Amino acid sequence: MRRVLRARPERGLPVVEAALGEELRRLRARVPSLTGSVVAASDGLVLARDLATGDADGTAALTAAAMGVAVRMSDDAGHGALRELLVHGEDGYVACYRAGSAAVLTVLAQARINVGRLHLESRAASGRIGRLVDVATRDTPAPLRLPYRQR
Amino acid sequence: MANVEAALKEAMTGIEGSLGVALVDYTSGMALGTVGGGKDLDLTVAAAGNTDVVRAKVRTMEMLGLKDEIEDILISLDTQYHLIRLMKARGSKGLFLYLALDKTRANLAMARHQLRSIEGDLEI
Repeated sequence: MRRVLRARPERGLPVVEAALGEELRRLRARVPSLTGSVVAASDGLVLARDLATGDADGTAALTAAAMGVAVRMSDDAGHGALRELLVHGEDGYVACYRAGSAAVLTVLAQARINVGRLHLESRAASGRIGRLVDVATRDTPAPLRLPYRQR
Repeated sequence: MANVEAALKEAMTGIEGSLGVALVDYTSGMALGTVGGGKDLDLTVAAAGNTDVVRAKVRTMEMLGLKDEIEDILISLDTQYHLIRLMKARGSKGLFLYLALDKTRANLAMARHQLRSIEGDLEI
């Protein structure tokens, strides 16, 4: 009898990646002047990207570094766990939102963006992204113990 | 001259039928202050949404070639009036007052008049 080992297609990271990508595309469609977004893991690796131009890997790495400093700054000020970080440059914004326990949503926007709207939409999106990532990391044990289906 | 908090409170208590009032920066879409509102009227959402309304009207006037300025914008719903009044004073350009009124209790002409005088007294 031949056995084929195969990960269950309806679970695991590929499915989550697709869901994250969908979430990022929806965010860009809903907020005008938003130029792109990246979901970064806390260690600075890219989990999902929706960038027309630019380097997602670099953005994710910088996100991890900036959030690391911001976490300490918030903690040092006695303001508790970090929620978000807004960087306002002369020609645009970079906003980072904590997404669950292990990820960050980083959003790039043009200078003319409606920041109120950016916050409203991105906070909602980061909540959904956080739940997706948290569930995926909880449900995906070590590779050898992946749930297999026999045929 | 009144500060932001006092002006918003005056709009909320002095204008008959007020449901909520906010002072909004439409360059960023964020509220500088809000009074009233609640679960039926989230003023943070209203600030961001009405920023798009104001920006759209400003853009439309540019496209029409109108060398004029918006004094106020009235939106009539089935049960509410929403009044947007752009700040004119020097130093408060780029801001608007947003007032939501209960249509059954409000007197629109009076509300508009009161909001104009509150805007004139407001010091940023």
